[in-house]
Amino acid sequence: MGRKHLFGILYVCLTVSVLAEVVNFHGHDLWQTIPGFSALYGFIGCIFIIAASKALGHYWLQKEEDYYD
Amino acid sequence: MIEWLHPGLIFILGALLIPVLKGKWKQIYLLLLPIAALIDLLYMSKGVFWRLPLLEYELVFGRVDQLSLVFGYVFVIAAFCMTLYALHVKEDGQHVSAFLYVGSTLGVVFAGDLFTLYLFWEVMAFSSLFLIWYRKTKASSEAGFRYIMVHIFGGICLLAGIILHLQNTGSIAFDSFNWGTGWGYLSSYFIFLGFLINAAVPPLHAWLSDAYPEATVTGAVFLTAFTTKSAIYVLIRGFPGVELLIWLGAIMAIYGVIFAVLENDARRLLAYSIIGQGGYMIAGIGIGTAMAINGSIAHALCCALYMALLFMGAGAVLEMTGRSKFSELGGLYKYMPLTFWLYMIGAFSISGFPLFSGFVSKTMVVESAALMHQPLVWLLLEGAAIGTFLVAGLKLPYLTWFARKDKRPIAEAREPPKNMLAAMGITAFLCIFIGVYPQALYGILPYSLDYAPYTATHIIGMSQLLLFTFVAFWMLRGMLHGERTITLDTDWFYRIWGRKFIWFCEKPLLNFADSVDDKVRRIADSFVWFSKNPSVASRIMLLTASTVLLKPFNPNPVYMRYAQDLEELRRLYPGEVHRVAIGSGVLLVLLFFTLYLVIYLTYGVLWV
Repeated sequence: MGRKHLFGILYVCLTVSVLAEVVNFHGHDLWQTIPGFSALYGFIGCIFIIAASKALGHYWLQKEEDYYD
Repeated sequence: MIEWLHPGLIFILGALLIPVLKGKWKQIYLLLLPIAALIDLLYMSKGVFWRLPLLEYELVFGRVDQLSLVFGYVFVIAAFCMTLYALHVKEDGQHVSAFLYVGSTLGVVFAGDLFTLYLFWEVMAFSSLFLIWYRKTKASSEAGFRYIMVHIFGGICLLAGIILHLQNTGSIAFDSFNWGTGWGYLSSYFIFLGFLINAAVPPLHAWLSDAYPEATVTGAVFLTAFTTKSAIYVLIRGFPGVELLIWLGAIMAIYGVIFAVLENDARRLLAYSIIGQGGYMIAGIGIGTAMAINGSIAHALCCALYMALLFMGAGAVLEMTGRSKFSELGGLYKYMPLTFWLYMIGAFSISGFPLFSGFVSKTMVVESAALMHQPLVWLLLEGAAIGTFLVAGLKLPYLTWFARKDKRPIAEAREPPKNMLAAMGITAFLCIFIGVYPQALYGILPYSLDYAPYTATHIIGMSQLLLFTFVAFWMLRGMLHGERTITLDTDWFYRIWGRKFIWFCEKPLLNFADSVDDKVRRIADSFVWFSKNPSVASRIMLLTASTVLLKPFNPNPVYMRYAQDLEELRRLYPGEVHRVAIGSGVLLVLLFFTLYLVIYLTYGVLWV
């Protein structure tokens, strides 16, 4: 099973997970009733976490390994 | 017939025999102890046992209810898996400290009063310290010192709180504490602070990410489960529904993730994941509904297992390659595929994939946040779920087992010893078992439960979240490569300012002390000099004073004579001391005694 197949499965899963929500959606609050909210949040959230923490690290928190020596 | 046997005692007393046994027998014995403790727990009836009177108080070593039992079960099961993982370790000391650590944690769990709690709390801190020090590197020894200092501080806070609590209420029973704002709640604040330090809530968390990655391979596995989860247990007992905890937990969950993204050390990344996972439990305790508390407990139990599994995986890599930094790792899949897959079961569990343990517990906390209509808390917790999958489920395995820029493997390695693989296998099985059959977990939770994890909404929501996290990761994976850096955290305050404080003590403070010392010694010296010949010494002092006074009138015959005399006296000092017969000494003593007698006899009669 090559990388191509794995990505094929991934795309199928992505589509199924979003389509399944269109068929069946209910939630407690407004933001949960938007179809595909979790997908969007997962995608944007991940990019945001990487970008925000890297910015925080590079401009402030990351230091040389011998910083405390 | 013994009415009740403390499971912690099985570990603590059992640990004493470890150094006596050899070879196979020792290994069998090590595995039998947790099994014995588990059997003890399974046959345990609920109630209050082992009340010991101490002064006017009553110590309670065995408060057995559903809450303490649940934590007892998981600690003992986890201890079995961890012991199996550490079975090849030759040093007895490591086993002994691990067992003392497990035993004292069980002591905390079953403690029914605050004194007993404090006792085991301290044993827990000190026994776990040796799991760090046994690594025997400079870094581990220093991190161990910082670790124990933070825990001593936490222990002192706890003790201060307990004493104030006793002063206020007159009771040492360990039940939920009063909570509010004002000086009247000072005792609760101190106890709360002590608990928060052990739960590693930012900004009091740095001991964990500082020390755990420096521990021995097997010691770190033990450390993952007990200190933080027992802190969750005492918070559930003492402070359920304290709203502050919701926000602390939500921030904690995100905090752990952000630092894990920056981390270059595999085990430190996982240490930050422990902090992040703790955030869910803390938030659940803060929400305080039956479902949220159940969720916190369930998550603590699942987390104890999958966190141990993750540390076992990263530990196996460290054991076999001697490396734990991403900048030195990569391409290990060819050599350690089994370790990879076992690790991934832990990674799927921590990320909350459906059919893995994290899914059935994490969604319970997240759902109860949603039921509270706190969108921000809900978003933070969901965001932390994204980040957890990103760091523990994608970044770590990708950089360890796959990514390699040059085509050569960076470290040639092989699968770890059989006992390590077996331990990982059992832990992985438990993670999947709980995920597939959550009723086993839900059935033992203390509150009755009306929660179904496998609804279409949950499964769809979680799948979307995680699958699209993967898409974003795959696009940005180049940004996540290991960087040879360390990340500053709140331990900066005590590492930098602590060093400055020591410098202040060694240089300015010590210099000042020396100068004071010098002055005092000079005064003492002058007394010694004076008492060598008091009559000549007083003449010298008189003459010195006169010469100083007459100096402006020099030349002057009187001054000249005085100066000459002074020089002569100083040269000959102490010279010939005027002596009196021994009888005069005795006479003086007699006179002194007589005077004393007179004072003694007349005191209260003639004068007061």
